[in-house]
Amino acid sequence: MAKAFARKRGRIVGRMHASEVEVVVQLLQQTRDFVAPTRAETGDPLMDLIAGMGESDTAPMEPEDPALRRLLPSAHRSDKDQAAEFRSLTEHSLRQRKARNLDAAIAALGEAEGTKITLDNAQAQALAIALTDVRLVLGERLDLRTDEDSSALHDELRLAAQGTAMSDDLDPVRMQQMAYYDFLSWLQEGITLALMAD
Amino acid sequence: MVCVSDLAPASAQPPGGPESTPERSSDVAVLERPEADTPWVTLVWNDPVNLMSYVTWVLQNHFGYPRRKAETLMRDVHELGRAVVSTGSREKMEADTEAMHGYGLWATFQKDD
Repeated sequence: MAKAFARKRGRIVGRMHASEVEVVVQLLQQTRDFVAPTRAETGDPLMDLIAGMGESDTAPMEPEDPALRRLLPSAHRSDKDQAAEFRSLTEHSLRQRKARNLDAAIAALGEAEGTKITLDNAQAQALAIALTDVRLVLGERLDLRTDEDSSALHDELRLAAQGTAMSDDLDPVRMQQMAYYDFLSWLQEGITLALMAD
Repeated sequence: MVCVSDLAPASAQPPGGPESTPERSSDVAVLERPEADTPWVTLVWNDPVNLMSYVTWVLQNHFGYPRRKAETLMRDVHELGRAVVSTGSREKMEADTEAMHGYGLWATFQKDD
């Protein structure tokens, strides 16, 4: 069972069960592949170079998947031209930045010895930011659109935990996503509060 | 970003020669920036996913705001749906918006009105 992160002698320390670390790392990895899919290399250096050039040359469009749109949002509410210009200048580097940060978070958790997780400030920041990206994707998949939706999700989970929800209402896939979302929220809250406690 | 001054070298003359100059100067005009003192703003919008603690931390960490100011801005985002988190030149607001997207906050920039 996980224990909330806290600042101890300059480090940010918490406890997580090995299976919990495994789930978090999996979700971080999936989010990383989602935001910056790695292109299959052909093995031919020239072909790979040309394919790579094409990627940065085409102006990126606003993503159709709402979860990706949440990770790479439009930077202007009403002016489509300004939003498109901003996207063409920033989207590629934003995807790379998110991928690097998710990699750093995965590496930080990979260093864990046993159940004790000890992070330095940079690692804790990377994890807090990376958990946001995972939660944005999960939140979109769970149809969280308003603050009321978030409260409803919390209530639904509590009822399920008490065993008082009607079993017919429970979709196992949705229940698992909700449980992950709730765990990551708790984890992120602890790391964030520890970061602020210096 | 493209700067008008970066387009100046004579070697950049279009192949069409002098007769294409009027078209070129109109291209340059499009790229002109608004007056430096025209204020632009970066807005952060409420969303159902980001934690109140995290939004506060991001505002402290990125802008260097004291805890109290960061919390006030976070509450404005939460209760009013959005808040102006920074004001300045367009370039600075674009950089702030990009940084907020890096943190996973939903930010936009616009001319202050």
